[in-house]
This record gives sequence, C-alpha cells and structure tokens, in this order.
Amino acid sequence: MARTPSPDLELFKRGVLVRMTRVDSGYGASTVLVGVDFEARTGEVALITGPAAAGKTTLTHVLRLALPPRSGRLVILGVDVGRASPRSLASLKRRIGYVAENPVFVEQWSAFDNIAMPLKMGARKARDYVDDVRELVDFVGLGEAADLPVEKLSGAERRRTAIARALAGKPDLILADDPTANMSPADGRRIVRLLSEMRRVGAGVIIASQDESLAECGPILRWRIEHGRISPVDHPATEDAEAFE
Amino acid sequence: MRNALSGVERALFWTLAFAVFAAVAAGLAARAVDRLAANYETERTNYAIVRVLAPEGREGVAAAEAALALAPHVSSAAPMTAGRAAALLRQWGGSEVRAQDLPPLRLIEIELEPALDPTADINGDIVAALAQGGVTADVVQAPDAAGGGGLAGRVAAAALWGAGLFALVMAIIISLAARSLAARRRELVTVMTDLGATHDQAVGRIGDEAALLGFYAGIAGGAMAGFAGLSIMLLAIPGASVETLPSMILPMDLAPLIAAPIVAALAAGVGARSAASYFHGQAARLG
Repeated sequence: MARTPSPDLELFKRGVLVRMTRVDSGYGASTVLVGVDFEARTGEVALITGPAAAGKTTLTHVLRLALPPRSGRLVILGVDVGRASPRSLASLKRRIGYVAENPVFVEQWSAFDNIAMPLKMGARKARDYVDDVRELVDFVGLGEAADLPVEKLSGAERRRTAIARALAGKPDLILADDPTANMSPADGRRIVRLLSEMRRVGAGVIIASQDESLAECGPILRWRIEHGRISPVDHPATEDAEAFE
Repeated sequence: MRNALSGVERALFWTLAFAVFAAVAAGLAARAVDRLAANYETERTNYAIVRVLAPEGREGVAAAEAALALAPHVSSAAPMTAGRAAALLRQWGGSEVRAQDLPPLRLIEIELEPALDPTADINGDIVAALAQGGVTADVVQAPDAAGGGGLAGRVAAAALWGAGLFALVMAIIISLAARSLAARRRELVTVMTDLGATHDQAVGRIGDEAALLGFYAGIAGGAMAGFAGLSIMLLAIPGASVETLPSMILPMDLAPLIAAPIVAALAAGVGARSAASYFHGQAARLG
C-alpha cells in the first residue's frame, strides 16, 4: 500500500523550498526574529536586505539549522524542522549549501580539498569527484588558486572557494550571508551573479546583505528585514500565495 | 591523516610516545620486581640446611641423608660438597676460599616441597625425622614465617598496583593531550558540522585520527621501553646475552608491551572524541 506523502513533502514537490510561519528565534535571553513569515521557492533568488543588526544573519542561522526556532513553524525542503530527528536534520543540512559571512575552512588544506569536502563526506572516491570539483573551480573562477592552501588565498578567493564548496553537494537550497562583504562592487556583483546562476539548475538561492543594489544583478525577489520582522518588497503574486498565512 | 605529523601533531605524537614509554617501563619494572620476589620467596621457603652432630663422620651424613629421604616436606636432600661450600662462602664473604682448605663438612642441603603450609613446623619435623633415623642434628636454616615471610608477595603486589596506577595516570595524560588534536581540528569539526555531518561522523573522524596517532605512539613508546628493558637485562644480569634472553623472558612479561598501543589508542581516542563532541555541539547549535 503506497504511503500518502506528508503535506510538507507535497509543499516541497510544488516547489516551496522554505516556509517560515510566525517564527521567533534568538540567542539566550534576547529574541532577534519576531513572527517571521517567509517563503522561498525553487528557481528563485531571494535577496533579504536590511540595516546592521536587523536579523539577517540570525535568519540565515535559522535557515541553515544552526539556530532553532523558539516558536512558529519552519519547513525546509519538505521537512518540518521542529519535529525532525537529529539524523534527519543532519541529512537536511547536507541539502543546504551555506556561504558564511566569514567562511570557516581547514586552512592548511588546498582550496580544492576544501571544496571537495561535502563529496568526501558522502564517502565518494576521489576519482569520482575530481572532475566535478574542477568544474566548480572553473565555474567560480578560482583558477590556479584552487591548488593553494586556503590560508594563502585573498578575501575574494576565499569567498569563491566558499561558494564552490556550498555548491559541491548539489544543494536544493543555497544560503549566502553577506557574500559581498569587503569586496569591490564589481567583484560583489560577480559573486551574486554566480550564486544566481544556480536557480537555472532548480535550486533556490537566499542572499542576505546590506547592499540593496544587488537586486539589480538579475531577476531577484526582494525582502526587507528590520528589527527582526521581515516583509516582501514588490513581490508578484504566486500560486501558493493563498496558502501562505 | 593529512599533515598528521607536522608541527603540533609531531609534538603530540612524542608526548604520547613518552607517556607510553613511562607507563610501559613502570609495567616492566613491576613485572621484574614480581619475578624477583617470586624467586626470592621460592628460594626462601624451599631451602633448608641441617648440621649432623652425631654420629660423626661419613656414616652420620649417610644416615642423615637416608632419614631425610623419608622425612615430611623434603623433596630432596644431598650433602654439601666442599666445592659448593667454597662457592657459597665466596658469594657471601666476597673473599677467595679454596675448597681444599675447608674442614670435613657435616652439612646437608635440603630442597623442600613447594607450597608448604605456612603453619607447618618444618624445623621440628626435620629434626624428628632425623632422630627416628638415629641421627642427632640441628637445623641451620629453614623457612620461618615470622622472619619476613610473605614480604616479597606484598612488595610484588605493591609494585604491580603502583605500576597500574602510574599507567592510569599516563592514560589520563594521553587522553588530555589528545584533546589538543581535537582543538587543532576544531575548524574541521566546524566545517563538517556546517556541511551536515552528524555528531558521530564529525566526532568519529577526529576520534579515529587520535586513536591511530595513539596506536602508533603506543608502538613507538612500547618499543623504546622494550629496548630499554632488554638493555638493562643485558647489563644487570650476569651471564645474560642476546642468545639467552629469549629463554629468560616469559610471555607474561610482554603484557605491558602488547597492551601499550591498544590502551594508548583507546585513551587518545576517548580524549579526542570528548573534545570533538564539545566542538561539534558548539558548531551545531547557536543561541
């Protein structure tokens, strides 16, 4: 007898990658996100902008499953985060690519090896993923720097490495927290275009940044966050809008 | 183990190896004490000497030898030869004694049966057996439970317990030192956690690496201690040589050497896993 797919899984099959419903979250005694309603869909690029300390990074921490929601409901890639086991959360995490504001690497390893980490963790043999990683290195424009230890890379090269690593596991959802920080405007736009390219392969991309001009890099849905409350900016209507409380 | 023996890892490896060396050396020393104590106790309790008072001459010694063959506790008895007496005097007195200079001896060396009842009156039983055979004699040396009997056993037990406690302290040191490997790999734990590694994957990766390092350090430290032990045996035991060593070593003596890599691997693995688990917890959950 075939099992009926859960409503959350159905939601994912309809292209809804993230649905946050009245989510509160924060650190210790302080609540940073207040009643957040947010949705991201497959093939979309969402740009969340707002001033410093508005809650952008906290939102990405919640979406990358590093910070649990205190209340409300969070469904990511068809999994209800509040009800999932630690094992399924870890499995869900592997389907999310994350580019941190200050990415952490194994500094003595080459950029190539760092990029290959999600594939190594999947117990794949080196000969099976070398070509994929080389392709990613070319895609992000890292070139020869890929063979250098990460500790010797420039800020922009580290960012490209972080993006390549986030993409290596072929994630369904890509999160980028301030990916253009400390970069020239031209480099920043190039990075955002790179990330945006991933929507072409069906992934959803969520970028958190203070820089509102990044919205000009392509077809990007804008969200505005202030004091932990998020709201859409000039969104077109979607077929699931009525289901979104 | 990428770059496993560079910088901090190399220092850690030798720290673990020397901790293992100290623990194994203590274990081998305790084992040596145990064997020396066992030999001492065997010699002390399994040996007696009687002096024949009457009848005098060869007849008295022969009669005593015959009477002792039937005496309780006696395994074997033989008259002490002049050569044997001279050797013993040389050993105890240090000066040269010639056998031909010694007067006729009336001493009989007795080997007693092993595992004697500590409450048995060896002295009295031997004198009684000799009297039954028509010989008057006194016992010059016999086991005496009141004269330090059982002390060797207590010394051996103390040495073994001391070595065990010392090994435990070394294992704790290894375990704590291995935490530095986890600290060194903290960024790896963080990255793995960010990329969706489960607790067991991230912690197991670091724990396995530390256990492998501990295993190799255990082999190195054990080998150093074994080499030191063999050198001391060659230097300290008269007549010991490379050819005779294998026959002098019992399988039980090798226990500290065999246990070293396994215990070091376990201690290092446990220490590193504990630290990695903490780092994983920090990386996995904010707030």
